[in-house]
Amino acid sequence: MSDTKMIDELVSLKDNFTTTIDKLTKDLKRNKKIMERSDKQQRKEYDELQRKLQEVEALKKEIEETQQEVVFTMGSIGESRSKETGNHVKRVAEYTYLIAKHLGLAEKECEMLKQASPMHDIGKVAIPDAVLNKPGHFNEEEREIMNTHAQLGFDMLQSSKRPLLKMAATVAYEHHEKWDGTGYPNKLAGEEIHIYGRITALADVFDALGSSRVYKSAWNDERIFTMFKEERGKHFDPQIVDIFFDNLDEFLTIRNLFKDLS
Amino acid sequence: MENLKIEATQYTPEIDFNSQSSVLSIVGKSYPENTFEYYKPIVNWIEEYLKTINDELLRVNLDLEYLNSSSLKAYFDLFDLLEIAHDEGKNIQIKWIYDEENDISEETGEDFIADFKSLDIELVIKG
Repeated sequence: MSDTKMIDELVSLKDNFTTTIDKLTKDLKRNKKIMERSDKQQRKEYDELQRKLQEVEALKKEIEETQQEVVFTMGSIGESRSKETGNHVKRVAEYTYLIAKHLGLAEKECEMLKQASPMHDIGKVAIPDAVLNKPGHFNEEEREIMNTHAQLGFDMLQSSKRPLLKMAATVAYEHHEKWDGTGYPNKLAGEEIHIYGRITALADVFDALGSSRVYKSAWNDERIFTMFKEERGKHFDPQIVDIFFDNLDEFLTIRNLFKDLS
Repeated sequence: MENLKIEATQYTPEIDFNSQSSVLSIVGKSYPENTFEYYKPIVNWIEEYLKTINDELLRVNLDLEYLNSSSLKAYFDLFDLLEIAHDEGKNIQIKWIYDEENDISEETGEDFIADFKSLDIELVIKG
């Protein structure tokens, strides 16, 4: 090969090499630019996403707290008209949660019952004051009027499509039914009574007996416990009475936590 | 040359070429699952089209509010094609259209101007 030819080839090789390197450099620079642009975009998107998520969380909390307050307020309306305290519904809420939990219901269902059970006496808003706040015992007619509050509460809530209010309707309807079939309004017995009704029945009675009302003074614990043992399988679902005694300290802690201010 | 029309999807822009007015417009977002597969026939189509024109004006309107990184790469490749055509004497006008509040899109347009100095690229704020 002549020197001239060799020089020509080397020059050509050098040119090719330079062109290739230029192209590679350009591609690399471009890829770097694309990466930087994408990183910037992703950072912005992720920040935005986090911000939106926080907003959604805050809204969710707001909705839940509003719902809780509305539920307690609705429950308290029934109570306040009969001179009972707002803490009654809060204690009943906690007791029903506790019983549901020990019965093995799903956490979500327990939480829902805690929200729904405060509305158990909502039907009392439709009971005349003269009956509702009467000191001393009811006569038969007054007793009948008073007992309509279960049906009234059910009528108020049952048309709702919200699962929570549907549950509250069941609770309002069945919390005065008794295990032995002597309760009202439908004289249901045993497991015919919805579990929410059976749970709320014990929670409500436990709290009512321990509080003083216009027509009676508070019972001491010994008297309440004796009554519960007697009513096991009569007024109350025996399994729920067992749960009550097996976990008594938890019930008493709640009672203490939401004490009525005297 | 026939018209080209590809409807927008959730992940891809609307692509529209009107052969009467010689306007190619691409509008929307671009983050397809397989970007290369998606753009390949479109880029091929444009490449074929560029071969058929002489000195008539081709206008390209790009209004892309969102590009993932491989789509951005695809548009750099498209600009390469347009630059080669321009260097061969074809008459091409490009508008990069962006929303005033979309900084990323504005900066992307500025990148194209910086990288393709010989091309006629205009940044246009969406009205």
